[in-house]
Amino acid sequence: MTPTALRWIGGSLALAALLAYPYLFGIYFTNVFVTFGIFALYAVSFNLLLGFTGLLSFGHAMFFGAGGYGTALALTHFKSLPLLPALVIGVVAAVALALLLSPLMVRVSGTAFSMLHLAFAQLMYVLALKLRAVTGGEDGIGGFRIPPFRIPGLVNVDMKDPSSFYYFAAAVLGLSVFVLWFVTKTPFGSVMVGLRDNPNRVAYLGFRVPQTKAAVYLLSAGFAGVAGSVYALFQNLVSADALHVLNSFTPVTMTMIGGVGSFFGPILGAAIFGLISELTSRYTERVELVVGLILIIVIMYAPQGFMGLVNAARARARARFAPGGATELAR
Amino acid sequence: MDPTTAMYVAQGVHGLAYGMLLFLVASGLTMVFGMMGILNIAHASFFMLSAYFSYQVLAVFGSFWLALLVAPVVAAALGVLCERLLLRRVHAFGHMGELILTVGISLVILEGVKVFWGTESLPIHVPAILEGRLALGGLDYPVYRLFVIGLALVVLGVLAALLYTTRLGMVVRAAVSDSGMVNALGVNVPLVFMLVFGTGTWLAGVAGVVIAPILTVYPGLADQMGMDAFVVVVTGGLGSLWGAFLVSVILGELNAYGVQFVSQLAPVLMFLFMAIVLAFRPMGLFGERE
Amino acid sequence: MILETRDISHDFDGLRVLSCVNLSVQRGERHAVIGPNGAGKTTLFNVITGTYAPRSGRVFFKDQDVTGAPPQALVRLGMGRSFQITSTFSRLTAFQNVRMGILGRRGIRFNVFRKVDVMREVTEEAEEVLRRINLTAERNLPARLLSYGKHRALEISLAMSTEPELVLLDEPTAGMSRDETRTAVDLIRRLTEGRTVIIVEHDMDVVFSLADRITVLHHGEILATGSPREIKANQAVRDAYLGEVAD
Repeated sequence: MTPTALRWIGGSLALAALLAYPYLFGIYFTNVFVTFGIFALYAVSFNLLLGFTGLLSFGHAMFFGAGGYGTALALTHFKSLPLLPALVIGVVAAVALALLLSPLMVRVSGTAFSMLHLAFAQLMYVLALKLRAVTGGEDGIGGFRIPPFRIPGLVNVDMKDPSSFYYFAAAVLGLSVFVLWFVTKTPFGSVMVGLRDNPNRVAYLGFRVPQTKAAVYLLSAGFAGVAGSVYALFQNLVSADALHVLNSFTPVTMTMIGGVGSFFGPILGAAIFGLISELTSRYTERVELVVGLILIIVIMYAPQGFMGLVNAARARARARFAPGGATELAR
Repeated sequence: MDPTTAMYVAQGVHGLAYGMLLFLVASGLTMVFGMMGILNIAHASFFMLSAYFSYQVLAVFGSFWLALLVAPVVAAALGVLCERLLLRRVHAFGHMGELILTVGISLVILEGVKVFWGTESLPIHVPAILEGRLALGGLDYPVYRLFVIGLALVVLGVLAALLYTTRLGMVVRAAVSDSGMVNALGVNVPLVFMLVFGTGTWLAGVAGVVIAPILTVYPGLADQMGMDAFVVVVTGGLGSLWGAFLVSVILGELNAYGVQFVSQLAPVLMFLFMAIVLAFRPMGLFGERE
Repeated sequence: MILETRDISHDFDGLRVLSCVNLSVQRGERHAVIGPNGAGKTTLFNVITGTYAPRSGRVFFKDQDVTGAPPQALVRLGMGRSFQITSTFSRLTAFQNVRMGILGRRGIRFNVFRKVDVMREVTEEAEEVLRRINLTAERNLPARLLSYGKHRALEISLAMSTEPELVLLDEPTAGMSRDETRTAVDLIRRLTEGRTVIIVEHDMDVVFSLADRITVLHHGEILATGSPREIKANQAVRDAYLGEVAD
């Protein structure tokens, strides 16, 4: 069987599994999957900056939170707003925030970039906590109406049903991940990777570096906003916790565990992280302690994450079966 | 002196006390950055750890002064251990690896204290000798606050003297501004690293013990101080001690007066200040372009 | 005249590196800039290519004042540059490196609508360039694993990928063996056919075999400018520089 045929079969099986999931595993695990999907997209959007453009952000939560608050506020204040526009408003909020910050952020890199993001995210967190009138402070905004997914004349699906929401979330999150994946395969994606490796040379090849960085930045923020928006709809609640620094560290951890050098690494990392959190929370409340330990171990012994270990194993296997010549996996 | 002026002055003293403590914490942070190129995100965690250690020493031996002596040293020793065993291994992977590692360490410490000491707020009493108020120039000042300012100034004075008059101090200053060059001159850079890291952590530890009676010892102690110290370092200039000093004092006062006048939004003032400075000088007030 | 610098002076924290440098390069010329280490050659390059603006003086490219213009602008006007320390995309393959240059040249900067792998014209052009620089066998090798000579060839190719009218090569044969140098010189001659080249070099054989005109820089000042024969015969140059260099 050809590899392409295998890929089609594998893909179809996966799709079938995805469609049947809620009926196979019940409500609790359906919700677990949605949570995984949200954070998988969040981590992938984060890695667009780190793995692909070489920028480490310690404040990505502010875009996640902007998406969440944008959608929640829109649904609270506009009583008959449909579902998709509410989602879009969340995304617009995240992109607007990124647009505001981009003039400063595209001119810095390295530690300065990481730290400035930490600072601004913290500022957003404090604002969310203090501006109770707008954001509901510590309690956040909750209980807003969740509109049904409606195409006039065709479908009208109630989003309060966990299975229905699951399909909606899977579609939105899946589509988002696909779009981001596609972007990394385009010429623009090549320039992104070029920026990671050698921004100086990129400038000397005639590319506009600040504008390119800004475009990646907006893309990354926007999709973090999608994740945050879906999160708000899913929980029917968004609070300052979404902006807390720990929520900025989450995609970092997920990406490092899964593998910063691959597109799918963060998704894998989100899955592993979710699994570990689930298991740990049964024994102790101190989940972050375990996360911290894992982060330390991963950085010290497997800095390329899970995907890195897989690639290394593959390379060793290849070397064993194809002797002679330097074989190195081209990216 | 009329009550309003009295209030202003009192706030000023409080602000100065906090500013001094902030500088104790921030100085270590900025020097480690100058030497290693990374901002140790776990720095504030050691600050908090020292506060917890002091609580423990107090609980067992009942002496605040013993706590002040011992706790920072233990915290510093742990910090140096982290540097030798963990950070140094990751050095080859570049700044990102080191940054993320410090995140991991901070998470472990932040949650670890909850495991050993619980999540409740642990009160620490000001030692009897420092209780009460002192009348100076027609005003009453809390003795403890004056003690804090005094202690901080003494510690910093000794540090400054060491840095600027001894040969070791000169080597450290050189290493902070250009560690690569110092390495080429045959100085044992790893040893200097350890010294700077240890001293910086020790300073944060001292601040931790001293601030405990004011803020009590609780798991969220690292959050506020950590963020404040970090803002100080970024705004004052990464690697600049003078910048850190200036901004610490400014922030201390902003905080004190901010709480008085804008109460809820006081923290925002701090970030606003940082944002304005960075908009004009992205490398901080006294920082040099990386 | 394609490039002219007028009274370029520059210093780093008080240390004077360039003093009143007046360089003029004719279109189509191969112009070598030589001088002992620390003479200011790379600084001059950096000033010309917009890495930083000179403390004083002006740079004219194609009769336009481009002093202090950023690299992107100069590249778009028709300048290209190679670096002393090889500046390629070390983790990308030779093919991907070359393709990056082609994308730049073709102005394909923000295309998010097609997979780059299916853009056949781009792929074919990249293969062609690889052929020209003899890197076809190493197509899928990450740049950092290339042999030194091949890596430098890739570097030069990247410098040329925007098809610049003027290309500045900063010590292209540094650290090369005799054979590698010969290959490199041949490559440079082929790739820069019809273009203007300013080349900084230490290897006098390379200089005298490539250059139409030579400028000698010493302590940040121009000591002499002229044809290879004039420079060889110039006493001041011999005293300051050529005498030190093993011929």
